[in-house]
Amino acid sequence: MSNAGSLQIRGVSKRYQVEDHRIDVLRSVSLDVRPGEFISIVGPSGCGKSTLLRLIVGLDDDYEGEILLDGARIARTSLDRGIVFQDHRLLPWLTLEGNVALSLENAPWPASRKREAVAEHIALVGLERFESAYPHQLSGGMAQRAAIARGLVGRPGVLLLDEPLGALDALTRVRLQDELLRIWRAESVTMLLVTHDVDEAIYLGDRVVVMNAKPGRIVADLPVGLPHPRDRSSPGFGDLKRRVLEHMQDYDLEVASA
Amino acid sequence: MSDLNITLAPPGALPGPASLRERLARWRERGNWIGLILPLGILFVWQASTSLGLIQPVFLPSPLATVQAAWKMATQQNLHMDFLVSISIVGQAFIYGSAAAIVLGVAAGLSSRVERFFGPTFDTIRHIPGIAWLPLIVLWLGIGAPAKVLVIAKSVFFPVFLNTLQGIRSVDKNHIELAQVLTLTRAQLVRKVILPSATPSIMVALRYSAGLAWALVVVAEGLSGIQGIGFLIFRAQGLLLTDQLIVCMVIIGLVGFGIDRLMFLAQRRVLRWKQGFDG
Repeated sequence: MSNAGSLQIRGVSKRYQVEDHRIDVLRSVSLDVRPGEFISIVGPSGCGKSTLLRLIVGLDDDYEGEILLDGARIARTSLDRGIVFQDHRLLPWLTLEGNVALSLENAPWPASRKREAVAEHIALVGLERFESAYPHQLSGGMAQRAAIARGLVGRPGVLLLDEPLGALDALTRVRLQDELLRIWRAESVTMLLVTHDVDEAIYLGDRVVVMNAKPGRIVADLPVGLPHPRDRSSPGFGDLKRRVLEHMQDYDLEVASA
Repeated sequence: MSDLNITLAPPGALPGPASLRERLARWRERGNWIGLILPLGILFVWQASTSLGLIQPVFLPSPLATVQAAWKMATQQNLHMDFLVSISIVGQAFIYGSAAAIVLGVAAGLSSRVERFFGPTFDTIRHIPGIAWLPLIVLWLGIGAPAKVLVIAKSVFFPVFLNTLQGIRSVDKNHIELAQVLTLTRAQLVRKVILPSATPSIMVALRYSAGLAWALVVVAEGLSGIQGIGFLIFRAQGLLLTDQLIVCMVIIGLVGFGIDRLMFLAQRRVLRWKQGFDG
């Protein structure tokens, strides 16, 4: 059974007023995500990609335009949208099991189903035997896996990933990228990954959405169309990477000529 | 230390409780014995100065005479009764003072209205030392235990109250945001996020004020009443029973040390989730 959600982002703008000048964090951002798609959003820092995730997850309601999940406008946070932050954000006083279970605190399930779901998702991310470990006893990669289990345990329609691998070393990162793909297939969930790593975006995504700053906006939406597992050194991969980087550099040229 | 083992192996693989011999060996390895050098040195100088007759027994009796005095107090003078009186005052004062402090500290931490309500009053009372309250309270409640319990509870209250408040206010903003993402209710937020994150600073305050309470009971008993270790110490001075005076001092020191160790163990147990926690 698939409960993957579809997401429509329509003309979303978000601005801050700093004294007398206005900062456009996002300007008319529109994006359609089909159920079960894996979307990578890549862009330089300050392009508003993390802000976009905050709006989708419901931490910030102050924007123009609309965001629809399965046709219904999102309001505040909800268990049908999960998120994984760059810092694992596990609560240090709860065990791994307690942290994952915290996601189900308000899920309308009987206790036995909650217990099963927690055990299942800890197994999904490969952390069986560590259920009773505290976060400080886990490595960075393990903590991030635990955060992914917490994000998925409530069976959300969409999982938002805000640079989840950004703080990990290169080797752990490559390994977790494959893990993410495996988890995505196993859970058949819609995923939106924000990253600043172009390789990662292409390696994982069905589509790579390129954003740029000042104002924060989408400048390209490129289908990847390469079969998994993807070879980072193949010509197709290299071509796409060049195109993504070109779109990101438009920004530098614009600034230089302004 | 044991924390390292857990990092490398799954927690199921922790070593079982060590035998006495292993623990003794570990203790020696860690170098804790160097803490004994100074007290043994002091004992040696004490013994030497009395047996060489450098100082009169009325000012400083020999260690042996002190031990004999302790024996006499314990067997013939109901030392344990005085000890129980003191420790029960401290126990009650600590429990009442810290319970009230945690309850009000949490309330003030969660609501700035509560904090504003109590703030000016508490900040004024706080600056009047417990000992300055004692004469008035004794006038009201008499020289018995209740007056001392009240005064010491007041001294326990403030460090715990302020640290509880501080602990609750310094909760990580990211953790609040997480609670929001997980759609936790306010009660769940308090129970699962805010209270645990305030525990480290509450525990520090409890450990500190337990020691403070024990020190204060001696003063309070010295100032009023006819029972307790503090009373004994001042009576011994009046009767020039210097050996008994020293016995009381040693007991006060050892009990204070014991209370602190106990609080340390409690702290370590409660905060076992904390990274690199060593007290």
